[in-house]
Parts: sequence; C-alpha cells; structure tokens
Amino acid sequence: MSAGLHYVVIGAGSAGHGAVTTLRARDPAARITLVTMSRLPFYNRFDLPRYFRGTTDWRNLLAVAPQIYDELAITLRRNSRVDEIDGRARTLTFSHKEVVGYDKLLVCTGGGGHLPEVLVEYKSLMHGFATFEDATRVARALPAKGRVILLGGDMIGLDLARTLIDTGHRVTLVAGEFTFWPHRIDAAKRAELLAALSRAGVDVVTGRTPVAIEAAAKPARRVIFEDDSAIAGDVVMPFFGSMPLVDFMLGAGVDMERGILVDPRLKSSNESIWAAGDVCQIWSDELKEYRFLHGWKNVRLMGELAARNMTGAAEEFDVTADFAIGIDASGHVQSDFWEQ
Amino acid sequence: MNEPLKPVYLDEKLVEIRADGHQDYRSKALPTWCPGCGYFSMAEGFTQSLKRLGREPEDVVVVSGIGCASRFPFFINAYGFHTLHGRTLPVATGVKQANDALTVVAVGGDGDAFAIGGGHIPHAARRNVDITYMVFDNGIYGLTKGQTSPTSVLGFTTPTTPYANGDEPLNPLMMLLAAKASWVGQAYAGNPHHLTDMMAEAIAHRGFSYLHILSPCVTFDKTTRTYKNLGMMVRDLPADHDRRNLMAAMAEATKVDRPALGVFYEEERPTLADVMDGIAERARKGIAAE
Amino acid sequence: MTGTDVQFAICGSAGDGTIAAGDILKRTMAAMGYKVIAFDIYPAEIRGFGKCISRVRVSIEQAYSLKRRSDVFLSLNDAHAIPHVGEVRDFGAVVYDDAPIATIPEGAHISAHIRPAQLPYGASFRQISDKVTGNARARNLVALGYLAGLYGMPRDAFHKTIGRKFATKAASVTQVNVRAFDAGYDAGASVFKLDDVVMAPPPVGADGSRAQMMTGNGATVRGLLDADIDCFFGYPITPATSIMERLATDLPKRGGRMLQTEDEISAIAATIGAGYAGARAATATSGPGLALMTEMMGLGVIAEVPSVTIVSQRGGPSTGLPTKTEQSDLNLAVYGGSGDAQRIVLAPTNVEGCYRCAGIAFELAEKFQTPVIVLIDLYLSNRYETVIPPEVKPFAPKAIPDAAGRSSGPFKRFAFTDDGLSPRAIPGQNGGVHTITGLEHNELGRPADQADNHQRMSRKRHDKLLAATRHPGLTVAKRFGRTGKVDVGILGWGSTFGEILEAMYAAEREGISCSAMKVVMLSPLPVHLIEPFFDDCRIVLVPELNHEGQLAHLVSGTLGRPVVRLDRVTGAPMEVDTILAEIRRLALGPAAGNAA
Ligand SMILES: Cc1cc2nc3c(=O)[nH]c(=O)nc-3n(C[C@H](O)[C@H](O)[C@H](O)COP(=O)(O)OP(=O)(O)OC[C@H]3O[C@@H](n4cnc5c(N)ncnc54)[C@H](O)[C@@H]3O)c2cc1C
Ligand SMILES: Cc1ncc(C[n+]2csc(CCOP(=O)(O)OP(=O)(O)O)c2C)c(N)n1
Ligand code: SF4
Ligand SMILES: [Mg+2]
Repeated sequence: MSAGLHYVVIGAGSAGHGAVTTLRARDPAARITLVTMSRLPFYNRFDLPRYFRGTTDWRNLLAVAPQIYDELAITLRRNSRVDEIDGRARTLTFSHKEVVGYDKLLVCTGGGGHLPEVLVEYKSLMHGFATFEDATRVARALPAKGRVILLGGDMIGLDLARTLIDTGHRVTLVAGEFTFWPHRIDAAKRAELLAALSRAGVDVVTGRTPVAIEAAAKPARRVIFEDDSAIAGDVVMPFFGSMPLVDFMLGAGVDMERGILVDPRLKSSNESIWAAGDVCQIWSDELKEYRFLHGWKNVRLMGELAARNMTGAAEEFDVTADFAIGIDASGHVQSDFWEQ
Repeated sequence: MNEPLKPVYLDEKLVEIRADGHQDYRSKALPTWCPGCGYFSMAEGFTQSLKRLGREPEDVVVVSGIGCASRFPFFINAYGFHTLHGRTLPVATGVKQANDALTVVAVGGDGDAFAIGGGHIPHAARRNVDITYMVFDNGIYGLTKGQTSPTSVLGFTTPTTPYANGDEPLNPLMMLLAAKASWVGQAYAGNPHHLTDMMAEAIAHRGFSYLHILSPCVTFDKTTRTYKNLGMMVRDLPADHDRRNLMAAMAEATKVDRPALGVFYEEERPTLADVMDGIAERARKGIAAE
Repeated sequence: MTGTDVQFAICGSAGDGTIAAGDILKRTMAAMGYKVIAFDIYPAEIRGFGKCISRVRVSIEQAYSLKRRSDVFLSLNDAHAIPHVGEVRDFGAVVYDDAPIATIPEGAHISAHIRPAQLPYGASFRQISDKVTGNARARNLVALGYLAGLYGMPRDAFHKTIGRKFATKAASVTQVNVRAFDAGYDAGASVFKLDDVVMAPPPVGADGSRAQMMTGNGATVRGLLDADIDCFFGYPITPATSIMERLATDLPKRGGRMLQTEDEISAIAATIGAGYAGARAATATSGPGLALMTEMMGLGVIAEVPSVTIVSQRGGPSTGLPTKTEQSDLNLAVYGGSGDAQRIVLAPTNVEGCYRCAGIAFELAEKFQTPVIVLIDLYLSNRYETVIPPEVKPFAPKAIPDAAGRSSGPFKRFAFTDDGLSPRAIPGQNGGVHTITGLEHNELGRPADQADNHQRMSRKRHDKLLAATRHPGLTVAKRFGRTGKVDVGILGWGSTFGEILEAMYAAEREGISCSAMKVVMLSPLPVHLIEPFFDDCRIVLVPELNHEGQLAHLVSGTLGRPVVRLDRVTGAPMEVDTILAEIRRLALGPAAGNAA
C-alpha cells in the first residue's frame, strides 16, 4: 500500500496490540511503531488477578510471545512515556527526550484508576491494580488469609475480589456510586447484586463514605469513615472506574472532554490522529453524546477498526452495544464484562 | 679474484705469534683474514690496549656482527659473541645491562654498522651505553666478496655496481656526532701505534665511545682504499683541535677528502647504567614522574 | 530466581569511566569470593571518545570463558552501546540513562533498539550524579550502584573497592564516589524488578581476600617478577604493550631494568645479550614483532642462549587487526626463522596459566639453554580472571652456571653430553672464556661446517629439548572430562580452550560421549600425552582462531593422524555454540554410525 508511511500507535494494551497487527496485515511496507510506558510487552490486564492463583512469572501473563513484534517488523518501544504530541509537526516527544515523527497516529493509552478528590492525599497508602507491578506489590503486602478493603468496587475490583475469595483471602467492599462500574444500573439492581456478593463471602459495607486512610501496625491499614468509625485491613485498593490518560495530548490540538473525542470512525479532530480503547469517547448519533465503551472486547475491536480506517477503510464502530449484568443460576454475580 | 682464505684453527698445535704479555689476549685461533688485510692491526692493537688497561680476559666481552671484521672475537681471548649481521649494538647493550662490571666492546664492518645495522647506532649513542664500538671501515663488503657498502666512494665499480656506484657515501663521524656519541675518534689500520692509543682511550671512556678505523680490503679493493691511497689521505687533527667543541668536531668531520686521525669529540654525561640506577632509586622511593 | 552465573556488560565512551566501573565491579566480586572472568575492550583510536566495553562474568562455579550473551547490559553512551544491544540474552536487562540533556532524533536513544524480549531499565544517572555530587562525572558510579542495587549485592563490599581504587587520591574523591554509588544503589534497589534477580551468595568458605583480578598480561608480569626477572627489553605493540608498561613501573623497584628499545630486533637482541651475560631477561611482542625477531630466535637456538619471549597474538598477517584476537602465530612461534630451529613454545589457556608459564619459562630457558616463547593472544592478554597468587614463589631460582673448578684446557661450551646439555659459563667467570656464534660450530664454539659435525650438533639441539615435555611442575598437556574411550575428542590450545571446555561440558550434558585436551607445550610437542588421547577418541576436533588450522597441521603432521578442523577468524573469541554445534555434528554424523 503506502510504502514508507510511519504509523505510530501509543499504548500496547488490547487496543494498541490489535491495531498494530491489523496495520501490518493491511500495509506490509509501512513502518510501524508501538509505544508503551510498561517494561512488558502486551499482556491482558484482565489476567492480572491470576497472579494470586500462582501466575507470578510475568512471562506466563504475556498475551503473545514478545518475538512476534520482530517477526512482524514492528518496533516496540517499551519503558517509553510520551510526554508531548505536536499535531501540526506530526511528532511526539518521549520523556527521555527522543523526538519521533509519524504520518498517522493512533492513541490507545487507556485509562488510569480514578480517585475521588478526598482520597488523593492517601494515595501512597493504597494499592492500585492496573499493572503487573501493582499486582506484585499487592501480593507482597497481603499475608495469607489477609484482608483486602476494596473502595468503590468497579467491575475490575470485583473481578479481583472473586479471585481473592477463592484464594482464601478476606475481602471487604466499601460500596458506593462506582460499585459495578462501568455498568449503569438502578438502586434495586444494585441491592440485589450486593446481596449476591455478600453470599459469595464479601463483607459489604454500605452507606459509609471513606474520608481517610491510616497506616497501622497489624493489620497495616485502617479506613476511616465520615462518622469516625473505621475498619482495618492489610491492603486498601481503590476501584473507582478509570479516567483516560491524556495529559500528553494537551498540546496536540485535538478536541477532548474527559477522553479523546472521536467520530464513529475513531478519528479525532486532527486529520492524522485516531484514538481507540479506554482513552476515547465515541460520538453516538443515537444518544447524541460522546460515550466511553470499556472492556477488553470493545477495546480490541476498536483498535482493529481504527487500524483499518487508518489504512483506507471507512467503518463505523457500533456504539450501542452494552454489557449486561445479573445473577446466574448458582446465585453469583454474572457480567458480560468478565466474560472472556 | 682471490677467495678469502679458509679458516685455519690451530687449537692442537698452538703457535704463539708474539712472546710478550699481550698474547694472553689472543685466542688460540689464527685469524682467517687474507694476508695483508688491515684487520690484523685491529687484533694487534686491541690486545695491546687491553693489556695496557689491565682488563682481565674474563671481564671483557667482544660482541660482533657478521662480516670479515666481525670475525674479530674468534681471535681474541675474551668472552665473545659473534651475533647477526647488523645486530651488534643491541646485543652489546643487553650484555652491559645484565652486568655493568663487564668491559663490552662491539665490533663490526661498515656494512654491518651503517647498512643493515644503521638503525641501532643513534640509539646506542644517545643512550650513552657504556660500551666501545669499533667499526672497521674498508668501504666494501668483504665477506660477501666485494660489493659496495654505505661508505664506498662514488664511482666505485663492484659486482653490484658494474656501471659505477652512484650513491653518495655517508659520513660516519658526522652521524655519530649528531647521534650524541660521547666519544668519537678515528684511526687508521696503517698507523698501528696510534690505533692502539685510540683503542685504549676509547675503551677507557665512560660512556658510548665510537672509534672509526679506516682499513683497506686488499683482496677486493685494488683501486680506492689501498694502503697507498689511505696513507696519502690521512692527516692528524690540528694540534689546537678542541675535543670538547662539538661544532669544531663537526667541521673536521666534514673534511672527507683528508680524513683526520685522533679524538674528534668527548664529553662526560650519565651513562645508561646511571640512568637505570636513577630510575631504580626513584622507583624504590615511590617517586613517579607525573 | 537467584543468579549463580551472571554476565554484566558495560558500554560507554573512553571519557565515561566505563572501564573504571567494570573494574570496581570485578574486583568487588572477586574479593567476595565469586569466580570472575572479564574482558575489557578499549577504543582502537589512540585517544578521545572511542568505544569501551567491559564484560564481567560473575559465577559461583568456575567459568572458562565469557558468555556470548550478557545477562545485564549497561549503556553509558547510547551511540556506542546501540550496536551491542543484541548481545543481551532474551529476558536479560538493558540498563540506560533515561534523561538525556537535550532532545535527540528518533533512534538515537538506546530504548529504540532494545529487542522485544529484553527488559528495559531506565534511570537518570546523570541527574542523580549531578544532585549528589554537583556534577555528572560520577554517573558511572551511579550506574554501577544501580546495577549493584538491582542485584542486591552488598553495598559495603563496593565501598571497600572504591576506597582502594581512590586510595592515592584525596579522601574527598572516595567520598564523592561512594555518595554517587549509594545514590545509584538506592535507585537500583527500589526499582521494580521484573525478574526478582539477586546474586546468589558466594560459596560458603570462599575466601576472596587473597583473590586478585588479573589480566593475562598482568599475570604474565607477575610470573616474570616472581621468577626474579633481571632485565626486560621491549618495543610497544598491541596487545603486549601493557606487559612492558607494568614492568617499567615494577621492575626498577627491585633493582631490575626495563629498556624500551628502538625496535623488536633490538629487544630480542638485547634479551639474548643479557641472557648470554647471565641475566634472566625477557621481551614481549605480538606477531609483527615476532616476525622481526625470528632471525635472532635462530641465533638463540644455535648459540644456545636462554631467553624468554612473550608473544600476544592479534589478527594478521602484517599489521592485520591490531585490536582483535587471533591464534595465527603458532607457525611463526614454533617454526619461524631459518634452518631447523626448534625452541620451546608454551601456550597457556587461562590467566593463571599465564602466570605459571611466564615464571617457569626462565627455568626452562636456563635448563635447556634455548629461547622460550610464551604464546598468548589478545583475548587472554586483556581478559581478567580471579587468580589466587601462591604465597611462596613457585619458581626455581636462577641457575647460575659456574665454570670454576672445571678441568683445565679450553672451555667446551658446546660439549656433547648424554642429555645434550653442555656446561655454561657467563662473562666475568674465570676459566670459562669462550666465544659463541650463529655459525655452526664445534664443541669449543669455533666455526665448523663439517658434515658430521652439523649432523651431530643439529641432533643435540633437537634432542635436548625433548626432556622439556616431562619437566616437573609444568602441565604440558591435560585431558578434561570423561576418561577412557570417547566418541568426540576436542583438542585445543590457548585462550580458545575456555570455550572448548564449556562446549565439551555442554555436549556431555546432552549425552554426547566426549572429552577435551589442552596442549600447553606446542614445541616440543608432548606426543606421549597426545597420542593416547587420539587412541581414545573416535574423532578429534581442533577448534582454533586461525584460517589455516595451524595446531591441526602441527598435531596431525607430527602424529600422522587425521583431525577435523574448526577454524574461525572473526577477530572475536570462538563461540561456545559454534564448537558445540560441531561436536553435535560429529557425534551424530554418519561417522558415528560407522564407529565400531
Ligand atoms: C485488573 C484489571 C482487570 C480487568 N478485567 C477486565 C475484564 O474482566 N473484562 C474486561 O472487559 N475488561 C477488563 N479490564 C479492563 C480492560 O483491561 C481495559 O478496558 C483495557 O485494558 C483497555 O485497553 P486499552 O488498550 O485501551 O488500554 P490499556 O490496556 O490500559 O493500555 C494502555 C497502554 O497505553 C500505555 N500508555 C499510557 N499512557 C502512555 C503514555 N503517555 N506514553 C506511552 N504509553 C502510554 C500503557 O503503557 C499501556 O500500554 C480490566 C482491567 C484491569 C486493570
Ligand atoms: C641478514 C643477512 N643478510 C646478509 C648477510 C650476508 N652478509 C654477510 S657479511 C655482509 C657484509 C659485510 O660487510 P661489512 O659489514 O662491511 O664487513 P666486512 O666483511 O667488509 O668486514 C653481508 C651482506 C648476512 N649474513 N645476513
Ligand atoms: S676485508 Fe677484504 S682483505 Fe680483509 S679479510 Fe675480508 S676480504 Fe680479506
Ligand atoms: Mg666492510
């Protein structure tokens, strides 16, 4: 196709990885660079709970053999954070000050854990759970049969909770508006689902807002509530949904709201920039709004579709699809989000 | 042309050549040089001078290269090392480095010295190795039967210069003076008493002494450096020649048509052994030059 | 995962302190009791900002060679390091500075070149150095500290080495460097390690206090000194120069003398002159210098004068590849010169061997009255290994010949005797006056060209050396691995033998019946040891770093037995995998099926 074009994909998650393989299939002659902040090649984040089931060697988490990038002649840039995009000059600058030019750019930087304002100052006392490193740190901090306090409790957190209960740990869920994110559900459904969690062994705390976290001797953490009551656990983990990682896009000249705003073809307001995955908000003609579509299946399809559109196609992403959540025959919470 | 005579060794039936004391310094081998060769004077003068200086044969090492001249050590009763063509000086330097107490005399012909061995001369000279270097200059390659050498005159006809030698001869005395030899003298095989004096003085000098000895090759040069020609050419250095004056020595050395006999130049300066001792002392005290 | 065998590589430019960092690393590891083998590559350019690489293999068990693939690679200069990233193994770490001073174009940063299966570790060495020392100069120590922290090595062991390294400088220099090291250490220790690599502790009881890191050249010097060398003469030539440079410092301290001569001819000439005069004298050179020395070697042989010549080979012919290793001067060392001029040639296979061979060379030269060549190569000259020097000098003192008391009559310096060894006298000794010569001579040393004399003298000079192959205290050849009948035998010499051993042991683990033999004495060849090895091996492979199969020819010519050659001249040491592949091929090939 277009010999010599340089496609740069920022983000080596489901979206980014899906995109580069599609790009390579459709444009054998192009230069393709895949960028990630991580030191690891692509692995599925939804696999991280497996760490607690004994998959502690990161090699076993990798979704593909790293050598595949050599085979596909894709330059994989790891441990490389993009700090800045110049949408006019079509260059990006890494934090290590290397400047790389692109012809077409796809942004798939996903999202980072969102934290309510009041908890930000306690960040260092909490354990995030977005990367392999995070999983390792949690596992190190968590004794056998130790207790994890989940704040918020989005579907990512609840997925981890299922695993932790299986592995003999104890889980306290401090439920709130983010519980079951990204599902959009009503109060009745919420109560029903929380009850199911209780039955599954999760200690559910409702109606109390955490306002502070303290380090303690044993167990190592205390979560303090508005009413000065407190609960104790070994590890405190915030799960308040995700916020797109877009700081580096501020100078790119691209329209953004919370994420990068793209049309149904996943193109941004800049001629040469596309976005896919957790980082983007897609225009829905039906809903007349830009909406996020989380979850790895959506995200991978987005990456692939964006790649096709970058190489000449004009496909639109189906923005209407939504996840269902409910309770299965055996009384457990069941969600499309978890289905793999 | 005459072949040089085959060696004759008289180990069994020792014939004493002379009855006086310097016979002690002669080996039991009779020189293999052609009868009449100027080199006989060297053997004679050398043994005389050693006797005069009172050096014991076992404390003397004669190192030579290859050539008629370099046969010299075989005819001397002292430790001898007949080495390789042109390598006299480095071997002699090694002998002296090993044992400062030895009297080390290096001997060679003009080809040995200035052709194949020319690269070593400036270094032995500038280092002021405490040895004596005697070059027997017959202006020809004697042993290989008469080819031109670096000191052959222009126009000399030999088997390798059948159309006459066109290479300007070099000036050994200038070369040695320029290389900082600390004693430079010239003698002539046809003037044996002066030769003996010069040898004795050269050996007695502390430092690198260079004695250039003009000598005829009676077998292969019937035209240029004959006794007759050399005898007419040589002269004494002027009586007022200042042997401490390098420029005066240079000036005398340029007069190649009338070679002067005597000591051209002399100076005292630290020998290689002195330098080595100084290094050893600084090394032991741990003083490194930054 | 604990590291029991980790190879570090540090790459930077001459001004970065690359070699210094590698030096501290290897000395520290050796002092802790690890086995260390290391190799530094300096720039080919004379000065300026050429490339330097220091490779340091640290192991619990003795290693015999450097690994082809490093486990950890540190870049102090990306421009130099980028071409070498590929040498890091899969899942090995690439460590680099992630905060360059100014913006750089695409591809100029090393992270652009790290292979997908390698692990990137970035840290801002320059900034850390700036912060804790006030300038960026100590960033090599920051980086070294980072490596030490990454591997969880003990800090204070490094502090000690740093203190020793800067012992001659002001105390503040050590402090600054320790501070830089510590800052780097903290960064390295706190970084999230993908593979939880820690260096396994050194073996219990391992005492590194006497262990020293020595290069082949360093050990050679040490051997010469421990054998009480008197005089050294040399002319600078890569890779032998450092021998001369070190002796220039150390020899005068004990009253010895080092002289830089005007060329190699003078160097060997003076060595022989000094040897004649009774000194323990040596010279050191490389192939081109040895070529110039061959005429003198012949003189040493025929005049029966002891001398020791260290030859560190590099790529040839002619000026060749001055900074690359090769083993192509075997023929020159063994045969070089006019006429039949057998001499003793020793080729050590490791650093320790350099020490032993250099030291015992004098003993052999004196006993057998002959030139001795110690043949090493650039790879062995420059590579570091842990050596524990013996507490008592293991070499025989100088055998001072004594002519006194012998019966009167002329001194027969070249008298025919049963063992071919004639009485020697040295200048200054009464009663021993004689003249030696490069001409064929009679027993007195007088020129003699009679047929029977030349025949007898030639035999004397040849036969007297045969006893050297059974000289006590010297390993002239040695078999490793399995004993008895084997399928594949690997015969090797010099620095390549390390790779041969690794390959042989690897093949054995794969179930191949094999065994290896090193030949240390190349001349005269210890046939009594090599022949039985051939008897035991169905097939013998000879891997060596030359194009003409020089040892292969020597051995198969002497024994009249076939060998399989494996010749490589890439300028680099032979790769273990290359040898291993050849062993496998020979073991599984059709010839194996034919074996009875
Ligand atoms: C623990 C966990 C469990 C989950 N479980 C499920 C599940 O069961 N089902 C499901 O559907 N979804 C699950 N998800 C969510 C799902 O993984 C995400 O929707 C998906 O990973 C998003 O993919 P993405 O490619 O958009 O971004 P990500 O996978 O988040 O990848 C982002 C990439 O961008 C890179 N990046 C970010 N910023 C920069 C920058 N400035 N410079 C360079 N690189 C940058 C990152 O290094 C990373 O490589 C889970 C997520 C987590 C963390
Ligand atoms: C390496 C080498 N080249 C050549 C020779 C042959 N050769 C022997 S003596 C000699 C020249 C001798 O001339 P000179 O040094 O003037 O001595 P002379 O015989 O005149 O005294 C030559 C060329 C040799 N022996 N060795
Ligand atoms: S120099 Fe001439 S005369 Fe003298 S021995 Fe040699 S060939 Fe004969
Ligand atoms: Mg002559």
